[in-house]
Amino acid sequence: MTPSSADARGDGAGSALLGKRWVETDGVHIDVRGLDPPGPLVAILQLVESIADRTPVFVHHDRDPKMLFPELAERGWSAAPLDAPPGEVRWKLERVE
Amino acid sequence: MKQAGGAFLAGATSRLLPPSIPFRFFGAAVAFHLLAWIALFAGAEGAPRFAGGLGWPLAALHLVTLGVLAMTAIGASLQLLPVATRRSVGSARWPAAIWWLYTPGVAALALGMGTGAPMLLAGGAAATVVALAAYAGLLARTLAGARGMPVVVAHGWAALASLVAVLITAASLAGMYVGVPGLGRGTALTLHIACAAFGFMGMLALGLSYILVPMFALSAAPDERRAFASAALAVIALLLAGAASFGIAPRLTGLGAIGAGAAAVALHVRLMTIALRTGMRRHLGRSFTLVKIGWVLLAASLVAALGIALEAPVDGLPTLFGLLLIGGWLLTFLLGILQRIVPFLGSMHAARGRRLPPTPSALTAERPLTIHFACHLAALMLLAMAVVADSPWVMRSAAVTGAAGATAFAAFFLSVLRRMRRADARDATHAAPVA
Repeated sequence: MTPSSADARGDGAGSALLGKRWVETDGVHIDVRGLDPPGPLVAILQLVESIADRTPVFVHHDRDPKMLFPELAERGWSAAPLDAPPGEVRWKLERVE
Repeated sequence: MKQAGGAFLAGATSRLLPPSIPFRFFGAAVAFHLLAWIALFAGAEGAPRFAGGLGWPLAALHLVTLGVLAMTAIGASLQLLPVATRRSVGSARWPAAIWWLYTPGVAALALGMGTGAPMLLAGGAAATVVALAAYAGLLARTLAGARGMPVVVAHGWAALASLVAVLITAASLAGMYVGVPGLGRGTALTLHIACAAFGFMGMLALGLSYILVPMFALSAAPDERRAFASAALAVIALLLAGAASFGIAPRLTGLGAIGAGAAAVALHVRLMTIALRTGMRRHLGRSFTLVKIGWVLLAASLVAALGIALEAPVDGLPTLFGLLLIGGWLLTFLLGILQRIVPFLGSMHAARGRRLPPTPSALTAERPLTIHFACHLAALMLLAMAVVADSPWVMRSAAVTGAAGATAFAAFFLSVLRRMRRADARDATHAAPVA
């Protein structure tokens, strides 16, 4: 699978603040590794709020995004952990009806 | 080689203390909040012109500073700093042991102050000092191993250094009541106030704001250089205040401290305002109205400090300064943050192993918070009127109003716990096998 788009703003500056985003066949991916709190939280929620349908979001993170869960719950989204390479945490986020 | 998410999380989750740790600190703070207003009612006669000395006004003051402010700061910092700095506190036994020593210590200290019992006071002070020293050790360990968030870490170190000064001056002041010599009372008292309110609590409040305000407003982290500049100015202000309390060119250093402190506050509030204006969440409700009022009253406390430094002819100005600093800035700010952070942490902890945890808004009872909001602000106004008019009766009215607000806040806190338990019970029922 090949990433079909770069970061959210489409420029290099955006990736520093919003993380790197790309689309694969299984959903939208976002890499927020290296961002200090609350950068990952804001970047992921901005992506989640921009999705109107049931497309899942895959988060690539370097830590457990604990502060994200209450915000996701408020928006009616759930999170499930996935297998990941060492040093990385991956979560699949899905809208819950 | 791939690693299961759960295996990594076992390590990551261990950085997060179990909910019973922060919640026991928050619960004690909620109880001491109510007790502080009751103590103020008992000491209303001497409170309008309170300037130190044993009695219920002193007990009320320490129930707020140690019982509510420091208690909440300990719980919040032990919970948030490991998450922000990626450095675990380690075993939950130490924070639990600190709580078991600190909580009865504060109660004994306040009772000793209120009843004028020096030995009870000294015993409570000893337990409190040992507990805070242990907390300082945990804080130092977390800060020393921190990875990331250097602004928060810098504020943490300044708060820690201030805490050491607070403990030394507290031991010196408490020692006077049982005949143990220490620093001169004037020096110890001035240093104690500056380091406790502006240093330890103030730097923790400013530092943790760099995590909490953007997190709740859902904004980018504030500009790091400006935040460091604010921290540096605050540290300069504290050093100058320390010099003034030791009698080193006191007028010049005192005014310098106020100037540097005002610049630090202006820069900090500017950064916080930008975070609030640019965040994804614009409507933060009553909680952030309290936070904003806290910032205004922090600035007002510096104006009152200036009045004291310039020997302005205003009756009760030192008491008014204390009211603006402790009740106006720190207590108002903290209660605003606490009413957001308690349901947020409740939801965060409940998320473990759940597909859909209870939301922070589902855990929040609005009616008690509405009552608390009105009562807290009314009580602050009545306190100011009592000081200006030198009226014990107005002081009693303030204490009753404040106690009503504290009761409402306690109802809110208990409702969060009850709703968390209900969500647990509902999940257990759904998970039970069907016969």
